[in-house]
Amino acid sequence: MDVATAPRRRVSGWAVLGVLVALGVAGPLVALPASFVLGGVDAVTLTLLPPALGRSVLLGAGVGIGTLLLGGALAVLVSFYDFPGRRVVEWALVLPLAIPGYVLVFVIVGQFGYADPLQSSLFGGLQLPGLRGPVGAIGVLTAVLYPYVYVLGRSAFLGQSRQSLEAARSLGHGYLGSVWTVALPLARPALAGGVALAVMEALADFGAVNLLGYQALTDAIYRVWYGAFDTTAALQLATVLVGLALLAVVLERALRGRARYHQSLAHGDAVLPRRLTGWRAGFACGLPVLLLVLVFAFPVTQLAAWSVETVLTGRVADRLGEAAVSTLLLAAAAAAVAVCTSTTVAYGQRVRPTRTGAVAARLAAVGYAVPGAVIAVAIYVPLVWLDRRLIAVADNWFGVEIGLLFTGTILGLVGAYVVRFHAQAYAAVESRMGRVHPHLDDAARALGADRARVLTDVHLPLLWPGIATAALLVTVEVIKELPATALLRPLGRDTLAIMTWEATKDSRFDTAALPALLIVLVGLVPVVVLVRLWNRPVGTAPPVPQG
Amino acid sequence: MAASPRGRLLLLIAVPVAVVALVVALAVAVLDGGSDAGTADAAPPAPETGPAEVSTDGIRYAETLVVYNGRSHYGDEQVFRDFEAATGVRLELRGGTGPELFERLRREGADTPADVLVTTDLANLWRAEEAGLLQGVTSEGLRAQVPDGLHDVDGTWWAVSTRLRVPVVSTERVPAGAVTSYESLADPRFRGRTCLRTSNNEYNQSLVADMIVKRGPEATEQLLRSWMANEPQIINSDGEMLAMIAGGECDVGLANHYYLGRTLKENPAFPVAPAWPDQQAAGAHANVSGVGVVAGSDAVPTAVALMEWLTSPPAQEQIIAGSEFAANPAVAPPAHIGDWANVKIDPIDGQQAGPALQQAVEMMLRVGWT
Repeated sequence: MDVATAPRRRVSGWAVLGVLVALGVAGPLVALPASFVLGGVDAVTLTLLPPALGRSVLLGAGVGIGTLLLGGALAVLVSFYDFPGRRVVEWALVLPLAIPGYVLVFVIVGQFGYADPLQSSLFGGLQLPGLRGPVGAIGVLTAVLYPYVYVLGRSAFLGQSRQSLEAARSLGHGYLGSVWTVALPLARPALAGGVALAVMEALADFGAVNLLGYQALTDAIYRVWYGAFDTTAALQLATVLVGLALLAVVLERALRGRARYHQSLAHGDAVLPRRLTGWRAGFACGLPVLLLVLVFAFPVTQLAAWSVETVLTGRVADRLGEAAVSTLLLAAAAAAVAVCTSTTVAYGQRVRPTRTGAVAARLAAVGYAVPGAVIAVAIYVPLVWLDRRLIAVADNWFGVEIGLLFTGTILGLVGAYVVRFHAQAYAAVESRMGRVHPHLDDAARALGADRARVLTDVHLPLLWPGIATAALLVTVEVIKELPATALLRPLGRDTLAIMTWEATKDSRFDTAALPALLIVLVGLVPVVVLVRLWNRPVGTAPPVPQG
Repeated sequence: MAASPRGRLLLLIAVPVAVVALVVALAVAVLDGGSDAGTADAAPPAPETGPAEVSTDGIRYAETLVVYNGRSHYGDEQVFRDFEAATGVRLELRGGTGPELFERLRREGADTPADVLVTTDLANLWRAEEAGLLQGVTSEGLRAQVPDGLHDVDGTWWAVSTRLRVPVVSTERVPAGAVTSYESLADPRFRGRTCLRTSNNEYNQSLVADMIVKRGPEATEQLLRSWMANEPQIINSDGEMLAMIAGGECDVGLANHYYLGRTLKENPAFPVAPAWPDQQAAGAHANVSGVGVVAGSDAVPTAVALMEWLTSPPAQEQIIAGSEFAANPAVAPPAHIGDWANVKIDPIDGQQAGPALQQAVEMMLRVGWT
């Protein structure tokens, strides 16, 4: 067992595997730029692009700033300050993650309550001026997307050691000053990652902007696709959107800089939050509670009231239970696959960080900003082709009719989900992996473990919270996901999102209420699980074996 | 430990092969078929020899029938369940909007599992017909139940219901007689107070295509430009439009009559009313929710049996409960909108308007109707 064999210039298998998986995830997106090469610039594209691009840029910037301020401030508040109710507020602030933007819009718009037979609107006839403009769209999406910044920011703060904060204090900084000068910069990669997720999701949002009549790029893509059936124009608009997402990624990298902060974690040296008293405590408790009432308690109560009314008046849609089961199965399958792809890519990059690997990992993350509808068709075209060939082969060679294996089956749909949500899983896994000190790998290698063993015995146990987060985020996203599901769902199987969407589009609020409530409730389950995982070793992150 | 390097070797070989195969497949698919790979392999359009005569007397029903159902959001699926109960055929209902179903159908091409396409509007039946995705059928039962003009001469689509797309006005802010035609939406008194649904909505597309046929492209474009001059708010659904008029954000809109019919049935005091257009002239635009047999279906007689059921009086009663008008003239209009049946209507030109559809879509985008 000679550790110091000749300088290993050979390519690592894991690095290659990571690159290949990343390329596999990003592969279907080849169809996007190809639309320019093969189609030439479409007249419809030229008409719709400039205004839609402007709206998307405004939306992305607004949501980025909004989520950074809101999510970042909340993460600082609960990580560095103690106040009455902190224990509850701390996890409750994640709850809005369970509410898709379009459900929030549905609840707000449903307050008009006039055209609809539903009687139990909490604020009958409420109207929000400006709801249908950029302010409304940015506001709604910030309200449901800030938890990304909050979760990642809080997780980073909790992983910080008390000593660095104390060092800053000993240099004469006040408490908040120390947080500002030490804790925030240390958490910058996590905060930037959270903002990047929120911005990419805002750019890819279709449901909320569509319902608000804010014609951003996703909406333009949908309308050229399903109005003019101009797939070339739709793919071209989508390509521009991908470019915008890439810009967000680049900006994130720039914000993160070359910073790589590793902190060894051990028991007992996590930050001790400072206790607030008096009006400060009331303020610290009151503001998050007010926020939660507005963006969570009120919508959920309203949905519940409508749902109860729907049940009592016997207007529950058929097949609701079946839709709930389909939704959960799809989410579980997609989460499982996404965890594997993201861990492989992240580990490959870790084993042998290369420029190729980094580019591939970034490419794989782009799917997150591509609207579900476009991913659906980008993946659908090759699947249709593959199915045709398989049918021909089966027929010619074996004389059997096999039908469509991938088209309109669960495989195509799960594939689209993975392309779409790999980035979220990757961000969670990678940010966790970044905190496992590289010396651990070297130590294990020096003790004779091969790469596979380092992954299973060293990384996976330490990565567990990251992987759980990854699975959670993907699950929640799939439950909320709409356009890709609409295009690829198998055998007339409705998901809850489809039911909500179809009814919401028609302002049939009574039909939409119950599935929407279920989406939120089902989405709450993984959120609660995440919170429980958090709380096991209170305030400290991964248990490091003692002694 | 011994198995580990071998396992890794296997992975190193298998995974790249799989990934490369995928990427190659994708590349070939993109380069091979372009964006319309689906239709390339589709069955060629049926020769224009008229519809195939189908008899459903004493037929042996197919075991299952796949229905692409654009009416899934109307909540009238019971009518399909009744067909299952009566015949033993298992109906696989795959719901979606008309555009989604058409897009899917053309992607699947000849390999589509669909037997029957049901839509809420002619636009997507025309599109499917033009792409060669439907086959013409006719039968004694269909001819007896669906009058001429409510089915394609080649039998590619048959109406199950009709609906009027008409101006709707606030009863609180718009005096009676202020809106008498489609041109009234351009009346300067409604500047900033009109609501229109998006231009990718098929009801609007069909309406404009029909106008192009009947008024000519120049007059139609002029009318649309005059509508746009009033700076309409662009709304996502007819239901939302009614809510906005009732809530005071608009005074006038353009909606399908049954949305208002349903709402008034629930709430007779709802402050929005239809303003029947062009009653001294052509009449109110009447569109069609229809059904057709998908090309390549291997269950044509069963599909026709379903269509005969959908247009039969008991099924029609169920379908129009949501305030539509029956395609079958033997079925009276729903009681709560009984007097709306006396409105003078201008039936959509099912034969000529289809080819004008693309022109209509382009025109709407050109005048700034997004």
